[in-house]
Amino acid sequence: MTTIFRTMGLAALMGGAAATAALAADDSKLALVPGGPHPYFAAWEPAGADAAQEFGLAGSDYKVPQRWELAQQNQLLESLLSQGYNGFMIFPGDPVGAVATAEELAEFGAPVIAGGGCYKDPSPAAFCLGTDTGNSAYLGTKELLAAMGDGEKRIAHFTGFLVDPNTQLRIDAVNRAAEEAGATVVQVIADIDAPEPAEEKINAYLAAHAGDVDGIVTTAWVPAVVAANALRRMGDTGIHMVGIDHDEVVLAAIKEGIIDGTMIQNPYGQGYIGSFALARMRSGCTVKEDAPFGSNALTDKFIDSGTAYVDASNVDGYLDTMREETARILADFEATYLSCP
Amino acid sequence: MSVAPVPSALPESSSDGFARLSRTRFLLSNEFGLILLIAAFALLFAVYTSGFLSVFNLFSLGRNAAVNIMIGLAMMTVIVTGGLNLAVGAIGVCAAMGCGWLLQILGLPWPVAILGGLALGAGLGAVNGWMVVRTGLHSFIITLATMSIFFGVMIFLTRAEAFRDFPEAMTAFGKMRLLTYLSPLLLLTFAVALALAWLYRFTVTGREMLAAGANPAAAELSGIRVGRAIILCHMLSGLLAGIAAMMLVTRNGAAIPSMAGQLGQDWLLPAFLGPVLGGTLLQGGKVSVLGTVLGAFLVTMLSSGLLMLQVGAFWVQTFLGLMLLVAVLLDKARRSWLARRNLA
Repeated sequence: MTTIFRTMGLAALMGGAAATAALAADDSKLALVPGGPHPYFAAWEPAGADAAQEFGLAGSDYKVPQRWELAQQNQLLESLLSQGYNGFMIFPGDPVGAVATAEELAEFGAPVIAGGGCYKDPSPAAFCLGTDTGNSAYLGTKELLAAMGDGEKRIAHFTGFLVDPNTQLRIDAVNRAAEEAGATVVQVIADIDAPEPAEEKINAYLAAHAGDVDGIVTTAWVPAVVAANALRRMGDTGIHMVGIDHDEVVLAAIKEGIIDGTMIQNPYGQGYIGSFALARMRSGCTVKEDAPFGSNALTDKFIDSGTAYVDASNVDGYLDTMREETARILADFEATYLSCP
Repeated sequence: MSVAPVPSALPESSSDGFARLSRTRFLLSNEFGLILLIAAFALLFAVYTSGFLSVFNLFSLGRNAAVNIMIGLAMMTVIVTGGLNLAVGAIGVCAAMGCGWLLQILGLPWPVAILGGLALGAGLGAVNGWMVVRTGLHSFIITLATMSIFFGVMIFLTRAEAFRDFPEAMTAFGKMRLLTYLSPLLLLTFAVALALAWLYRFTVTGREMLAAGANPAAAELSGIRVGRAIILCHMLSGLLAGIAAMMLVTRNGAAIPSMAGQLGQDWLLPAFLGPVLGGTLLQGGKVSVLGTVLGAFLVTMLSSGLLMLQVGAFWVQTFLGLMLLVAVLLDKARRSWLARRNLA
């Protein structure tokens, strides 16, 4: 998977780096820090390495907290600052509780941006580069409803941890899309973005209620994998499904016609563009006050890193889709969002 | 600072013999071993890492240690009875969220909100203790259940939304640096530890808690109300968990449902490591406040130092688990050695 992302990223560079090659070698030692171990963020590692090589940075390293725990992330960030890292892209362990640590990093002169998920405003983060989770869930549900065709539409929604505020946004978005189409969300199962609870709850639910469901939408990585595997084992149930992200299990299920599609995100683009932006801010650039940021429930400084629906017709070319998205954002990123001396 | 309920028989009566015996015991104690380990690892990290002795790292080390020590003390107060408090994290989060609710929704002054949060923590601890006494079940079972109940009710009531509108006075306390590198949170923790040491050594209530943990039947026959002592221990545990949570609130500037992870489980490892490394007996009846403080500090320092050494984030967990195992085995060997020489 790392090789795939590196290939994809380097290809993106061919289009986007020409506009940004002005970056000279500098002492930027950047850290890309997720909230904890999760396959979604694996693409940040090659993205940071590619960015460091392309832009001549001292480093852009992927550093993972031991567990999904705010205290662990805080401790790691404090340690990285002590080790001399001077720019940070962070998936906040908590959109509110992580702000205090970001403020301390900023007080030491290190630029901070949010990647993959946002801090709640106000925060010292220059901006948030991530997926519009609510919109992604809404679009995914729309695609599911379209794939289900006419007739009764009863949807089960499998999603992430309740302590993640994005989860409520996703639940609301799925409910809204269902309501608009006259469909019914018959079951929401949350708190299952980990293998054990996902296996237990999804399999138990489908074993008991497969006949009561016409479609499944998943809005977290692990539930998508588990639900796709469950449908594969159950055979022809007539249940439609739209997943999320690009796990190989999910992609294979699309190719085999077991599920209808998936909403992919762009973690490589986040790591690559984030490293570029941090390096530019360290070289004196500031964020434009009139930059055309989007907004979501957490921040008014949001930049969508891209999301797209992939089904059987374009699953083989999904990397191209995200590569184009990365190149598109990077090509005019500096002109659009930054003011440089 | 180790305290046991029953004085050991002394084989020698002369002052020289007594001094020699005391010195031998101290050199063999967990506390002395921990002091040596802390000194050795501090030297190692100072030599082999860059930034370990930096002002910011010393400050953050002290601040993180303050919270971990408090969590360890919260577990220690229940281990004293031979029990466990698996709900320590869930209670802490409930106390923090209760404080946030009183402050943000009811608009109460922040000192009142903090006291309310602490009272909630103590109250939930008392519920645990009362259920343990009334049902006769081991506290492992009771607190395993209440961990889910407390956390689930909190998530239901708050819809997983954090409380953020804390006054500057509170949040500034978490960031404050005394002499540029010392966190006041650490001083608060030391004050609480001293109060606990005083409780167990000099008060009747503290001695009753230890006696109830050492031998409940004998304690009951001696006129000690064992049930009341157990409830008090759980109540104290809830209060200390609440204090740890308030410290995190001042550090994060917010009360967050996920501050102790799912169901509050993220607090369990530091909660056990401090007391166990420090020499508090899992069977109850013996407590070491100083050992718990040193044990929790050692664990925090190891985490920090290993991160600085860049050994790989996942090795830190492995190393901490190994530490726990080695500490338990060493303690077993130490007690065997003392028993063979009639020193225990």
